[in-house]
Amino acid sequence: MDLKISDLRRRFGKVEALRGVDLEIPGGMFGLLGANGAGKTTLMRIIAGVLPPTSGLAIVGGNDLSTREGRVAVQRRLGYLPQDVGLYPDLTPVEFLDYVGLLKGLDDKPARTRQIGELLEMVGLSDVGRRKLKGFSGGMRRRVGIAQALLGDPSIVVVDEPTAGLDPEERIRFRTVLASLAGHRTVILSTHVVEDVAQTCRETAVMAGGRVMFTGPVTDLVRHAEGATWEVTTSGPAPTGGVVVSAVGRADGTHYRVVSPSRPDPEATPVAPTLEEGYVAFMQTVSAGAERVGSS
Amino acid sequence: MIRYEFLMQIRKRSLWITTAILAVVMPLLQGNRGPSSLPDDMSARAVMGTWAFLFSILLPIGFGTVLADRLVRDRRLGIVGLLDSLPVGPGARVLRRYVGSVAATAVPGLAIMMAAAVFELATGRHDPALLLWAPIAFALVMLPGLAFIAAFALVAPLVVTAPLFRVLFVGYWFWGNMLPTNFLPSLTGSLIAPIGDYPASWLTGERMLWAGDDGWLGFLRPDVTGATAALSIALLLLVALVPLAASGPLLARRRVAG
Ligand SMILES: Nc1ncnc2c1ncn2[C@@H]1O[C@H](COP(=O)(O)OP(=O)(O)O)[C@@H](O)[C@H]1O
Ligand SMILES: [Mg+2]
Repeated sequence: MDLKISDLRRRFGKVEALRGVDLEIPGGMFGLLGANGAGKTTLMRIIAGVLPPTSGLAIVGGNDLSTREGRVAVQRRLGYLPQDVGLYPDLTPVEFLDYVGLLKGLDDKPARTRQIGELLEMVGLSDVGRRKLKGFSGGMRRRVGIAQALLGDPSIVVVDEPTAGLDPEERIRFRTVLASLAGHRTVILSTHVVEDVAQTCRETAVMAGGRVMFTGPVTDLVRHAEGATWEVTTSGPAPTGGVVVSAVGRADGTHYRVVSPSRPDPEATPVAPTLEEGYVAFMQTVSAGAERVGSS
Repeated sequence: MIRYEFLMQIRKRSLWITTAILAVVMPLLQGNRGPSSLPDDMSARAVMGTWAFLFSILLPIGFGTVLADRLVRDRRLGIVGLLDSLPVGPGARVLRRYVGSVAATAVPGLAIMMAAAVFELATGRHDPALLLWAPIAFALVMLPGLAFIAAFALVAPLVVTAPLFRVLFVGYWFWGNMLPTNFLPSLTGSLIAPIGDYPASWLTGERMLWAGDDGWLGFLRPDVTGATAALSIALLLLVALVPLAASGPLLARRRVAG
């Protein structure tokens, strides 16, 4: 299912959360990057048909989300994991999934039950499928959340910050699950964690201040830091030119990785950038551009 | 789906605790007009009608209170976004929640009526018909009132918050059901008082509280007969549709606001 969004705007009172978003998502696994407050959640909620936009167009799989029919048509084929999703504490995972499955219109009971069993297996919750959700940890809840999103074999899966608050193992497991889905689906992953996108997506978009600032292959985003990523090893103070992306203490001093358009230190050696560095470099050019616009 | 709405409500401990407390307190406070003062030759129908009305005096306060979070808790639990992403409109969702919650809330109500019948059987009335009249009296006296208050308890907190609703509801309960109309204009004693005065009075053959009493909106205060008792039940169910019908637009408005 492909997605076409043009000049999408949404305001909450005085806050303009989306200021004219243009975005096309062809299919497969797509990463939506952006700092907190960039507008990712607002965009995801609009795509899920949960929030109507103030203006603009969102077409998902040929269905216009501004019409009731279009919205229902999309929602029939949608799996959505909202940011910070809650669950009914008084139900068990099996019951909760059954409840959501019924609301999704999965009326064939044996098929539904079989699918719930498979999904719980997939997210590693088979053992606790009949325990009340009340006592579940954040990671376990998140896994119920993703299982819920996959009910009914949706053709578009929208997951909003799914790895926030997960421990490293859970995070990796989760990414693997998501990536394995993308074969015949559109999966839109929103996150402020660049590593999540680096590990799973080929295509990505970057949002800032309610706009999409970049769309394209992940490799293009990495390229923004090419020739601008440096390693500096020093026992003295941290390098001041550019953005320090990482600092690792070793016997011969601290190894800094720095994103900077010019050599930040005479000792600095150029290195191949990661996606995170590409993202940082890109955001630097964006904010530099914004400053130029602001001061002119 | 209604099954899960039912399960979630019936698993609510406060429902059982509230019912249990009121089910003990009311018989203790029943005074000389309660079921324990009824003569030995009283019919099973009148005995269970009296019990049902006794419970109906305060139990609905408990019911209204425990039902008040049923819709708004979707937001509190952070689940409303997920629900809104499913291809079911809010109106249908509310209706299912309503039916499931009313059914679940009815269970402890029915249980204490059955317990009252067993108590009567054990303490001297040897009429097995008590066990038959217990559910009938429950269905005629308590259930319509429950259906009525449940509709308001579910929907009103969308407008005034659940805690405020609870306070207002308790005030309304005494004012609109028990406070005589010559004291303050109210719906006390009218066909649309959810306390179950009409059906209980019809079952027992005696006016229980103020049913049909003169007052404000006189056309809503006919004499007690089988027909007016049935009319009272029908009107209560009809009025309950008003908040239910309003819930869809109210939820849709919240969706737009984000
Ligand atoms: N329901 C809301 N009411 C008011 N402001 C909101 C609401 N949702 C989001 N915002 C504001 O819109 C902006 C974008 O938020 P959001 O979409 O949550 O960004 P992100 O998911 O990228 O962190 C923020 O400034 C946020 O405060
Ligand atoms: Mg967010």
